[in-house]
This record gives sequence, structure tokens and C-alpha cells, in this order.
Amino acid sequence: MPGIPPVREALRESVADVTEAQIIEALLGFIDQGEASEAEFERMALAVFAYQFANNQSYRRFAIQRGRTTLTVRNWRDIPAVPITAFKDLTLSCCAPEAAERIFMTSGTTQGLRGRSHHPTLAVWDRSMLVNFRRRFMQGTKRIRMGILFPDEAAMPNSSLARYLALAQRECGAAGSAGFVGPQGLDVVGVIAALTQAEASGEPYALLGASWSFVHLLDALTGQGRRFALPEGSRILDTGGFKGQSREMGADAFYDALSATFGVPRNLCINMYGMTELSTQFYDDGNAVCPPVKSGPHWIRSRVVDPVSGRDLAEGATGVLVHHDLAHFNCASAILTEDAGVMVEGGFKLLGRVDGADSKGCSLAVEEFLKAARG
Amino acid sequence: MNLFAGHLPGIAATEVEWRRLDFSAWGEGVTVDVPLLSEAQGLALAARVRENARSYLKTLPVAEIVATIDKAIARLLDREDPLRRQAEALLPVVTGYDAETVRLGLSGYLRTFRAPQLQRFLAEDFANPGVLDGFQPAMKGGFARAHGPELLLHIWAGNVPGLSLWSLISGLLVKAGSIGKVASAEPLLAGWFAQILAEIDPRLGECLAIVWWKGGDAASEQVWLNQADTIVAYGGNDALAAIRERAPITARFLTHGHKIGFGVVSVAALDARKAGALARLCAHDAMRYEQQGCYSPQMLFVERGGKVSPREFAEMVSRELAAFARRHPRRALSVAEAAGVAAWRSGEEMRAFDNEGRLVLGDAEDGWSVVQVDAAEPLAPSGLNRTLKIVAVESLDAVVPLVAPFRSFLQSAAIAASPEELFRIAALLGEAGVTRIAAFGTMTAPEAGWHNDGRFNLLDLVTITEIEHSAELAAEAFAPYVD
Repeated sequence: MPGIPPVREALRESVADVTEAQIIEALLGFIDQGEASEAEFERMALAVFAYQFANNQSYRRFAIQRGRTTLTVRNWRDIPAVPITAFKDLTLSCCAPEAAERIFMTSGTTQGLRGRSHHPTLAVWDRSMLVNFRRRFMQGTKRIRMGILFPDEAAMPNSSLARYLALAQRECGAAGSAGFVGPQGLDVVGVIAALTQAEASGEPYALLGASWSFVHLLDALTGQGRRFALPEGSRILDTGGFKGQSREMGADAFYDALSATFGVPRNLCINMYGMTELSTQFYDDGNAVCPPVKSGPHWIRSRVVDPVSGRDLAEGATGVLVHHDLAHFNCASAILTEDAGVMVEGGFKLLGRVDGADSKGCSLAVEEFLKAARG
Repeated sequence: MNLFAGHLPGIAATEVEWRRLDFSAWGEGVTVDVPLLSEAQGLALAARVRENARSYLKTLPVAEIVATIDKAIARLLDREDPLRRQAEALLPVVTGYDAETVRLGLSGYLRTFRAPQLQRFLAEDFANPGVLDGFQPAMKGGFARAHGPELLLHIWAGNVPGLSLWSLISGLLVKAGSIGKVASAEPLLAGWFAQILAEIDPRLGECLAIVWWKGGDAASEQVWLNQADTIVAYGGNDALAAIRERAPITARFLTHGHKIGFGVVSVAALDARKAGALARLCAHDAMRYEQQGCYSPQMLFVERGGKVSPREFAEMVSRELAAFARRHPRRALSVAEAAGVAAWRSGEEMRAFDNEGRLVLGDAEDGWSVVQVDAAEPLAPSGLNRTLKIVAVESLDAVVPLVAPFRSFLQSAAIAASPEELFRIAALLGEAGVTRIAAFGTMTAPEAGWHNDGRFNLLDLVTITEIEHSAELAAEAFAPYVD
């Protein structure tokens, strides 16, 4: 077809033809290729968009409402981003929902609705997690003894974080790795025993878990006056913030406390930024300085937009983050988050949540209303 | 440009620590330094204001206070006055509202505080305003006199210009020494008003102070809470609850929480001739102050069966909002506000997918959004900042159960209906908790003497001292002229 670049020609073909098996195979290959140019990312992004446009009815309607179809979308930035609240209201899945191997759900309880992401297979999710985790957290170490501060997969089958930590432990945990959150809550005695043993062994140790679990652990250890000096190479991974599950701590106070309590320098306290509505995670290179720069692997790209127009803001301007995660192939790859951010050299900085803006005057805004409705 | 906010009688600017607040809008920037007093300074200021009010303000006849306020308001209404000029130039930058909105809003609002309006305000609450000056005969026998608080603390919130004047003037009318805490979002106008009062009557100017602390700063707030015998606080319920928890149990605590306004349109208003003008007034109310006011409409209920259908009416309102967007552009939104607008709009879009009876009007990039819904829906906040939901209803009576569950958030409603319908629906809405019924076009401009949140704003501030008839009779026995 004269005048049409080969990428778009391939895309048109793909609309009708690409099967689930093919898109999975293509994505696994894409993840394994180690890096991707802008053009390569774009080609894959347009193919995934075409696949979702063809197979995900809710997303197709959304895209059409925004005036975006496979005919009008010419580059990856044009692919319409679904607000994450849509994962609560709509079933965003290319496969039949009942055919999903796993459904990850958000923990959010606003109006009792939970956002859902369907996965016909966890093959892509797992590959995405592991390749990136090894690069950003393991950093060349093959295995490390891990302490997990989060319930296991059996206890929380719909938690993407439980899956994440289970994979981390199974694939990268050394002998003696263990989870310390059970039906009875945080096993402080068990954690202390593991940390004491790690301190004595001289082998590096890793603590991983939800940010709020760390706050509970910090409070328990402070109460007992316990501090540790974990061996060199030990590291910490926290994620998810406090979410009302623990007291709130400022970032600097939090990482100072981690560093002081476990003897892990702040540059080895790594924060993972992930979401149920994604199949890929972002990391920083430690929290020596907050907020740190976050970045992801070559199969995810981020933009900072004006949420009203959806347009990209200039580098350095604060807006709302849009993530384009090719690994989230079955749902919607482009999502509009509720996180404020700013693009910087090498990635972006997270600047907190933007949900629940209060009115500037005395009119009632949605968040206070919902809170009252929940009672 | 840098300004100093506040009004601190008896304290020199150099003695005080100042915090700088940055504002920018419409391509201009302003910094405002707000005073942060130490505990000792706060205590001294509170004592001074209380003492000055006792020895001066409480001795003034209320008519004289009215005359002084009237002079001060006249200056703020005079577009040649330097402070008025400053207000017109700076408030758009501080609040983000466009210059025309600020100018018109200020003039309309200030007009409700001229002498005749203040007299009406007094007459609304006191059958005989003389009770503020001395003992007056009581209907039941004996005599009564009304005393304002010794020290009235105002905690203001929000960026609607001049909101502070309402309670500040109420306090003056009942002769209370006042401490006003300005909102970080609009820290200027209350201080200017105090400054003008001080220029007109320097002793009166020493009976009030305008201060600041960071909202939620419990330690600073506590100093003031302990000093006041009456507290008027504005804000969201969480903020108000936090203040109430810390306020002394002996202090009278009056709150103005966040509210949600709405409108009701009867078929009587929906013919081709009247609907266009009405749509413009509806759009005006939603545009003015970007729906940040407690009185601003966030939802309209439109009766089905008129010559103009609810959907057609929604389209008319949309056209008017589009016209306003050109003449009075929406103020620049913060990221959080923009996200709120986008979340509301996209949520409505999602719900519109499988629903013929739901239509999202306008483009995401327009400075407004209207959603029209065919099935009855309960009252709920919009995304604010010119976002409006227009719900079709079978009858005006059908509106009542849709708003009644939200009694604690109700205040203003506009009604466009025949006189007979107006009174019938107003009775039902009043039972449901609505305290103010206005015409469309005036929702954001309550009339003079308005009972804010349905309360007697002056009466709520005073305590009554009664001389019972028995005391009066008994005194006769001790008179020098007794036989």
C-alpha cells in the first residue's frame, strides 16, 4: 500500500489476525530483547493497542468515545489512557473474564468496589516482574536470603503484591528465606531471630514488604530498643505507602528510621512503585535523596499529562502520570493514574496522590461526600 | 510584589515572625507575608483586644457601629479608593478567579453591608436592636439586654473573596472583640477591612485583630481556642471536628461546614421563550466562583414534559457555559483540581457507554462539562470548576427524596417555577433541610440579612441578660421615694 509506513501496514494486518498466543509470544520476546528504541516500542505499542481495540469491548468503546481508533492513532502517545477508576466500573479484558488464570484486585474499598485486572496467563506478568526485579533489586546477586513482610499468595490470591513477593522469594531467595506475616499478623519474634542470625552470619539479607508493614516493624523494634547492623550488601524493598494501615511517616523520616534500625544505607533502601492495573513495576536507585527518580524497563513508558486535556506537559511541569505498560496486554496498556509526577532526566519523580482534591471554598467536594456516605 | 497581611494592634511588624505565601495566576505573581505569632504575643494580643472591646466597642451605640462599617464599606465600593484598586488588582492573582468575577463579586457582596442593609440584618435577628445598647422591655415582662462575646474567634477557610467579612461584621454588630484567622487561600481582604476601620475610627481598629496560622497547626490554634468564649469556624467536617475536639467545652462553637447547592426547574419555565434566558442564569451560577461557594449549584433537576426537554435544556446550559468560558475563562486549576474534574468527567463517560439515557456534553478540553441524565439520580457533588449534572425528573416532588438523604450538606437551592409551585416545593425542600431558596442568577449572591446555614447569625453570638419582673418590682421597695 503506497504511502503508508510499514509499521502501520503491519498494524492493520494485526488487527484482524493477532491471536492471544501470538501477542504473548511477541511480548515475551520483546521483554527478553534487553532494550528497545522509541521506534521499536512504538511498533509494539501500536500492535498491543490494535489487539486491545479488537478484543476488549469496553476499551474499544472508551477509545472510540475519545475519538481514537486504530486508524487515527499514529504513535504511542496517542493511545488513549484509561483512568484507573475504570477498572472498578468496567471489565477491561480481552479474554473472557472466566477464562482468566488469575484476577488481581485492588485493596481500595471506596464504595466497596475493587479495581480488577484479568490475566489469561501469568507468563508475561511473571517474566516482566523477574527480569526487572533481577536488574533493579538483585543487581547481579543471584540469590539472597529474604524476609517478607506481607501475607503469602495463598492468603491473598488476588493480590498482585503477594504474587510479586512470592516470585521474588521463589526465584531469587536463598535458603532460609521466610515470610513473617501470617494469620496472626506480623511475627516480630521471627523477624528478630532472622535478623540476629543474618547479623551473625555475615551474609547479606533482604527485607521486602509493604511500606506500612515496615512501620509496624519499626515501632515494635523501637519499643524493644532493638537495632541491627545487617551485613554489607543487605538491602530493603518497600512499596505501596501507608494507606491508613499504619501511621503516616514522611519519606525522609521513614528511610532514616530504616537505615538506623537495620544498618542498611538509604541508597540500598529501594522503593518499588507498582499497581494492580499494571504488569510492570518501577524502581528507584535507593532513597539517599527523596523524592528519588523512578524508572522502568524498556517495555513501559510514562508521560506526565494535564488530566483535563490528556496532553503531555513539558519536562519539569507537575501533572498526572500516565503509564504505558505493554506487559498489561490483556487489559489496557495505557492508564491514567491518580499519582502526581514530574518528568526528569532518567525517569520521573512521584509527588503523591491527587485523588480527593478538596474545594478551595466552602462547597462540598466528592471526597468528603463519599467519606460521609461511607459513614 | 510583596504584601503584608494581618492586623495586629499594639504589635510592631518587626516584633513578629512572618511566613511567606506565594500566589500566581493570570501571568502575575504576588507574595504575601502572613504573621506567625508566638504564644506570648498571641496571649497579649487576645488580652488587648478583649480589653479594648470592653472599654470602647461595648460602649458604642449599635447605630454608630453601623455608621462606621458603612463608611468602611463605602471605601471598598469606591473604585477610585487605593485599597479597592489593590483588591481588584491582587485578588485575581491570589484566588485565581478572573478579574471581572472578582470585581463584580466584590461589589455585589459589599453592597449587602451598607447601612440600610445592616439595619435590616439587625432587624432580622432582633425585634428591637436596642437590646444591644441597653435593657429593653421584654414581651413577657421585665427587661432584657443582649451581650456579644468578649472575644470572638473566627477561623476562615477557602478562597472566595470577602467570605471573612460576613462573620467579622456580625461580630462588630454585637460588639465582640474579634480575632480573625485568615485562610491561606485568601489572606488579604479581612486585613484591609480592619485597616480601613482603624483609619476611620482608630479606637475601633484596636478592638479586632487579623492573624494567621497554618491550617491544622494544632499547637498555634490551641492558644487562640483557649482565649475565645465564642468560635465561628468554616471548613470541611474533618477540619471542624478537629477544632471542636480542642475547643474548651465552655466556648460556644458555631460551624459552617461545606455545602452542596442545587437547582430545580419546573416545566413552567421550559418554553422556548423563557428557557434560553434561564439557561444563561443557571450557567452564570455555576460559573461564578467556579462552584467553590457553599451556595453554588452542582446539580440541576429539570422536570420532564415541557416544550423544552431536559436534554435540550442541558444543551442550552452548555452553550451558555461555552460562552462564559470565552468571556470569563476558568481559572487555572491545580493538578489535584484538574484530576478531580477529569475523574468526574471520565467516570460519567464510562457510565454513558451502555446507557442511552446519559450524555456527556462538550469536549474534555473545554473549560466546562455538562452531563445530562434521564433517570433520576440522587444529589452528589460534581467535579466542581464548572462541571454540572442535569438530571431529568418526572415531577418537582420527585426531587425531594433525591436530596433529603443529604440533609447535613444542604443549604441553597434555586427554583424556577410558578408562585404556587415555588411555595409548595420550598416547603418540601425546607423540611428536607434546605435553608435558602433563591432565584437562578442569584445563587452566589445571598441577599442582605441572609440567615447563613439557616441560623440567626447575630442571635447565635449573643447571650441575653434578663431583669425579671420580680427584681424590678422588688427594687421598688428599696427606692428612695418609697412610701
